[in-house]
Amino acid sequence: MTTRARFAWLLALGALVVGLCAGAPVVKAQEAATGEAGNADTAAAAAESRPELLDPREAELDAQAAEVAAQLRCPVCRNQSILESNAELSREMQAVVRERLAAGESPEQVRAYFVGRYGEWILLRPTARGINLLVYVLPLLALVIGALILRGRLRKWAVSAGGGPAEAATAPGELSAENERWLQEVLREG
Amino acid sequence: MKRKIRWLLPLVAIPILGLLAFGLTRNTYVLPTPLEGMAAPGFRLETISGDSVSLADLRGRVVVLNFWASWCVPCRAEHGVLKLSQATYDPSEAVVLGVIYQDTKENALRFLRELGGDWRHMLDPSQRTAIDYGVYGVPETFFIGRDGLIGHKKVGPVTWDLVKSQVDSLMAVPYAAGEAGEDPGVSHIGAAQ
Repeated sequence: MTTRARFAWLLALGALVVGLCAGAPVVKAQEAATGEAGNADTAAAAAESRPELLDPREAELDAQAAEVAAQLRCPVCRNQSILESNAELSREMQAVVRERLAAGESPEQVRAYFVGRYGEWILLRPTARGINLLVYVLPLLALVIGALILRGRLRKWAVSAGGGPAEAATAPGELSAENERWLQEVLREG
Repeated sequence: MKRKIRWLLPLVAIPILGLLAFGLTRNTYVLPTPLEGMAAPGFRLETISGDSVSLADLRGRVVVLNFWASWCVPCRAEHGVLKLSQATYDPSEAVVLGVIYQDTKENALRFLRELGGDWRHMLDPSQRTAIDYGVYGVPETFFIGRDGLIGHKKVGPVTWDLVKSQVDSLMAVPYAAGEAGEDPGVSHIGAAQ
């Protein structure tokens, strides 16, 4: 019973961790999907007002520019991307993004240009490098530590409930001999 | 168990309080700039009087490059300091340059008629030069050395102490013509307003 209960709990815990890890990309994918739909909408709206944008190359450039712009922070409003922001500076920055892409730069080069002028801060999603790694590693570390603590608790709980003699003797919160006798009595009767 | 909680609580609380103390005492308006020590982005811009100015032509001189607008209150406050800078330094040694940010030529001229300041003020159509310099608000001032490298960026109004210490230290750096900091320079003249 003890081993089985412990095993069941660990299994449940494992399932939870796996579920959480698996869930993150799903959420991300959903976000990306809605983002793309949004971009497509803007591209469609732009095409409607400017017929020359029906050219598929232009439309692709627009979509690419919107994707890069969505990753750059508006320096004026700070918590919006330059794609969402209506600040004059953001609109000009969006134009710069498109111009640079049209001139043949890759999205990575365009991002690098803005990082070179405004610093890493301009990226809404920090790069996983140097001290930024903390942002990515700490939550995972907290999850692992939490799981370890939970495992310890569950093991202790299983031990005191099952009363395995060898394990109970090593547990720090062991029962006094009197309580142990009482517990055994209760267990026998019940 | 109790004993464990006793050290676990400060273990969790101290880093969080530390982060809060650090985060809440920062001036979040001023961002760190990657441009200090880098070559100043080149430009060729039209001035409000119709001439054109290229940064490359000023190689060998210290440049105080000031982004400003007539609607900007701190710009009004620092204007006297810039006038003093221009009056203090020999223009063949150190020059003040203004870049007008998100403003009309008419408003800029009215501001200058009122407050003076006859150094060269340039128009920046579509803010391309401002973006090249990572400007996010005015006033912002760049101190550029004789070699064309950016020595310092100041966000917010400059003080005379800052200008003097920056310009003096940049002028003290020995300079041989044709040194580093080469930037081809981009012409924004004639670009859409």
